[in-house]
Amino acid sequence: MTAIEINGLTKSFGTLKAVEEMHLSIDHEIFGLLGPNGSGKTTTVRMLTTILRPTSGDASVCGHSVLTEPRRVRDRISYVPQDMAVDAKLTGRENVVFFAKLYGVRNPRDKADEALARMELGDRADDLARTYSGGMRRRLELAQALVHDPEVLFLDEPTIGLDVAGRKKIWEHIIDLKNNGMTVFVTTHYMDEADYACDRVGIIDHGVLVANDSPEALKARCCNDIIVIRAEGEYRGTDIEGVRLIGQNGDELRFEAGCAGEMGFALAGALAGAGMKVKSFAVRQPTLDDVFLSLVAEQEETAAFDYQRFRTMLRRRA
Amino acid sequence: MISTFHYLERDFRRWVRGRINVVSALVMPAAWLIFVGLALPIRFTDNYLDFITPGILVLTMLGASLQGGSLLMFDKVLGFLPKFLAMPAPRESILYGKILFITMRGLVQSTVILVLALILGAHLLNPLLLIQTYMVLFIFGILLSSVMTTVALTLEDHDSYAAFNSIVSMPLFFTSSALMPYDQMPGWLAAIAMLNPVSYAIDGIRELQAGVFPADTFLGLTAGAAIVLAVSVYVFRKATV
Repeated sequence: MTAIEINGLTKSFGTLKAVEEMHLSIDHEIFGLLGPNGSGKTTTVRMLTTILRPTSGDASVCGHSVLTEPRRVRDRISYVPQDMAVDAKLTGRENVVFFAKLYGVRNPRDKADEALARMELGDRADDLARTYSGGMRRRLELAQALVHDPEVLFLDEPTIGLDVAGRKKIWEHIIDLKNNGMTVFVTTHYMDEADYACDRVGIIDHGVLVANDSPEALKARCCNDIIVIRAEGEYRGTDIEGVRLIGQNGDELRFEAGCAGEMGFALAGALAGAGMKVKSFAVRQPTLDDVFLSLVAEQEETAAFDYQRFRTMLRRRA
Repeated sequence: MISTFHYLERDFRRWVRGRINVVSALVMPAAWLIFVGLALPIRFTDNYLDFITPGILVLTMLGASLQGGSLLMFDKVLGFLPKFLAMPAPRESILYGKILFITMRGLVQSTVILVLALILGAHLLNPLLLIQTYMVLFIFGILLSSVMTTVALTLEDHDSYAAFNSIVSMPLFFTSSALMPYDQMPGWLAAIAMLNPVSYAIDGIRELQAGVFPADTFLGLTAGAAIVLAVSVYVFRKATV
């Protein structure tokens, strides 16, 4: 049985199609859903966690349909939204015991202690959550989520607003959970983190899933190597085969090429021959950032900020 | 539904750690009791404190309920609600827990006010009548807190809730029979006061003081609470699916 099976999942708000005809199958892995703001990441998670009802299509989680058996789905999953909501006036332990009781686990105190220890919060368990750092609050939320041994874990932007050490720790825990057999569905804005931690990533843009593969495969498929040359003088084009200009920023030129090592020298020579003064050149592998930018349509930063639409979006999420 | 009590427990724990909130809600009714109950030169009765105490008890419940709706609002705005909704516990227990907490908190506050009234010289009802008084307050609390949580569910943000709150709180209190009997009111005020649900609760407690069992009050308030609670559950289900 596949942990998450998504079949033509669609959600519209009025005329806006937030998620369109999504098909996915996820099992015993960390799946990262990437996408720009408002692309439908959270809407997808909310449908899979039975908080939002799909307009059409269906999804099954642990073999239960989100449409017909939402209660059974909720029994097997945990969901940590991005807002970081822990009760600041309760202690860490009280926060977790509260969830354990709500999940109806048989020995809430023991399970809570276990989850707290797992998230390395055991020695701070009796302090008020108010005194916790951002990273600790997030781990407290993970402890709450783990208290009933879910099979699938949904995390919405788990590392948002955390410092570098905090992020690293969260990802270590997430990877550890996967290694112990859990399926993790995570959304994030941070490409490097997805590249590091996810077994597979999906890229969503305007509600449409435009890519779905392992980070390595995506990088290999989408882009060749990248050559960055800094040179003074006017660039008039080049006739070297297999090299393509993909961007120019001041005196920095970015090219895409098959075997960038050799091409780099040839290119630098050609530019120098054309009268430019080459100051440096570098070759780098494409990152998930390059993949993302090549797949996701240009962001509408030039369009005026639509306050009304922003409000509608916020309301939907609330 | 056991989960209702878990939500209730959470709110109580948070409340008692709030210190200032625990005291602040008591200031207003205590001030009424002392500065109006003791100081106002009244001629229609020789023990105004005894007369005004039921009104202040109900005022305490009113204040607690009006304040309480914002609790659900905060759970919504701060992101607790999505977490709770993704849990297997019955979703309605979130709502029931909230309504029950607001009402119970109101009863705790009313008890403090009642003790204060006794210290100031009000006369104690016998235990049986006291239990009945608490029942009136309880049903009244359920009624009002259901109204306010429903309002909180339908309004957008905390500001609009606060605005709604200030629109209804004072008028509800002043157009009730809390401060004077109907025969002392101007005709227009008496007409409004008779319709005010707050007067229902106050009159019910006064009848208890006078030794009459207020069956119609109990029935009326219970029916009202049941209807409003049903509406509240309906709105909650619509808002959370």
